[in-house]
Amino acid sequence: MLQKLRNFLVDKRFVQKREFLKSLSIFRGLSNRELGQLLQMFHSRTYHEGEPLFLEGDIGRALFVVESGRVELTKSGPDGRPQKLAELGPGSFFGEMALLEHLPRSASAVAMQESALLLLYRSRLDEILDSYPHIGIAIMTHLARLLSARLRRASESLVSSSGEPRGSTPA
Amino acid sequence: MQAAGRRAPRFSWPAFFAVIALLYFFYKIHAVLIPFVLSFALAYLVDPIIHHFEADGLRREHIVLALYCVIAAGIAMAANFLLPAMMSELSLLQGRAGIYYAAIQHAFSVFQADLARRMPFGQYIVEKMSMRMYNPLMEQLPKLPSYILGLFPLFSLIFLVPFISFFMLMDAERLMQDAIQACPSRRVEQVLHIVDEIDALLGNYVRGLLIVAMAIGAASYAGLLLLGVDYALGVATLSGVSSFVPYLGAILGALVGGLVAFFQFHTFAAPMKVIALFCGIRLADEALLQPFISRHAMHLHPLLFLLALMVGGKLFGFVGLLFAVPAACIIKVLIAVAWDYHSSQTQTSRRLTLNGVEVPYI
Repeated sequence: MLQKLRNFLVDKRFVQKREFLKSLSIFRGLSNRELGQLLQMFHSRTYHEGEPLFLEGDIGRALFVVESGRVELTKSGPDGRPQKLAELGPGSFFGEMALLEHLPRSASAVAMQESALLLLYRSRLDEILDSYPHIGIAIMTHLARLLSARLRRASESLVSSSGEPRGSTPA
Repeated sequence: MQAAGRRAPRFSWPAFFAVIALLYFFYKIHAVLIPFVLSFALAYLVDPIIHHFEADGLRREHIVLALYCVIAAGIAMAANFLLPAMMSELSLLQGRAGIYYAAIQHAFSVFQADLARRMPFGQYIVEKMSMRMYNPLMEQLPKLPSYILGLFPLFSLIFLVPFISFFMLMDAERLMQDAIQACPSRRVEQVLHIVDEIDALLGNYVRGLLIVAMAIGAASYAGLLLLGVDYALGVATLSGVSSFVPYLGAILGALVGGLVAFFQFHTFAAPMKVIALFCGIRLADEALLQPFISRHAMHLHPLLFLLALMVGGKLFGFVGLLFAVPAACIIKVLIAVAWDYHSSQTQTSRRLTLNGVEVPYI
């Protein structure tokens, strides 16, 4: 009886999406309610096979989370031909730097098959930071870790290309 | 590295004329749109409540239905108290209209006589004033109660607006989703940019406006009751409703409340107290409510604010005054977004690099 009432009152699709967000590392540590509030900030869109999400050089304004399907990231090589960077499946997210600043994307993203994606636009992140600071801090902490990892990778590349370290290594 | 497939936005004359034609069409049918615009405002007002429960995974349609039941119960309770009080004030006004008419006529005659005696060309000024202002005013004054009663058909909006809002609340998310789906894939981010900016701005504006209107109405009613002024509910309602137009609520409240107090107590002290009350309410609004409400609202320069009100009033009358400021804010958002795109599109392909090593940015 209670289960029937629950099924009647609860939006199953919403709960499924919330569980999906729960499985992502970027939103780890958030409660069900916080994930529900976060989910309300997302927009969703289905991309058909071959449809571009964005192209290299487009101004980035949103974070993308792959809910289902596959997305290919490519980058123009020195000869102008696209080189595959990565193939992303459900649970992957990309474009997160657009949440911090508006810069041209340095890669293109194209749906390899029919793919459902969740989009978090920057002003929504501002809203989250303002209205639900706990959620905002969780996202920002993850972004900071990601930046830190990239900085380490960049400095390692620098060291390996020059043979010896130049200046201080970012912590 | 050259941006693949990136083109500078180009001005399109057909699109420009299509927008102008659409605006003209809306201008011609604006009277029909009023219930829809009000419904839109109501939907914005109650949407945060629905969002609050939706975050727990509850179905939207159930929340909307439950909310409507609660609001209907609240309105029924309020009407039980307010409607008899309002009707008694109106019948009192209708009964005393003749007395007020005579009192104003007497006050004006005394003023005229005084002016004619003391001022050079006083008699000439009095005659001109009588012809241009006094006579038309006095012809209309006895009709005031019937004008107020004539506003009652507007109460049909009370039923129509929640009805339209219901469907807006039920289907808004789906319509939005469909619109995003229909967008060309590469334009989704841009469309979201515009939609989110306007959504946040309008939501804050509408909610702020309603909070201010209710606070001013309640404070006016309490204050006028304390001062013992007649028609406290009517004046407070007028003040609350007219405060949708910035500053108008306090001004009308002070003016009408002051007149009522003057004819009721026959002293200058009484209207001064009413004026002081509305000045206090205005200051309290500015000091206590506005900092909280306008925290996220868009700020217009006072001159733009005034211009928006004048243009809105000229084009659409009272309704134009109501919606002038949000419309101006939307225009400002669109300009800001367009400028943002222009600067983004024209900026050089700046890359994040560290000693020549490019930091990936996707």
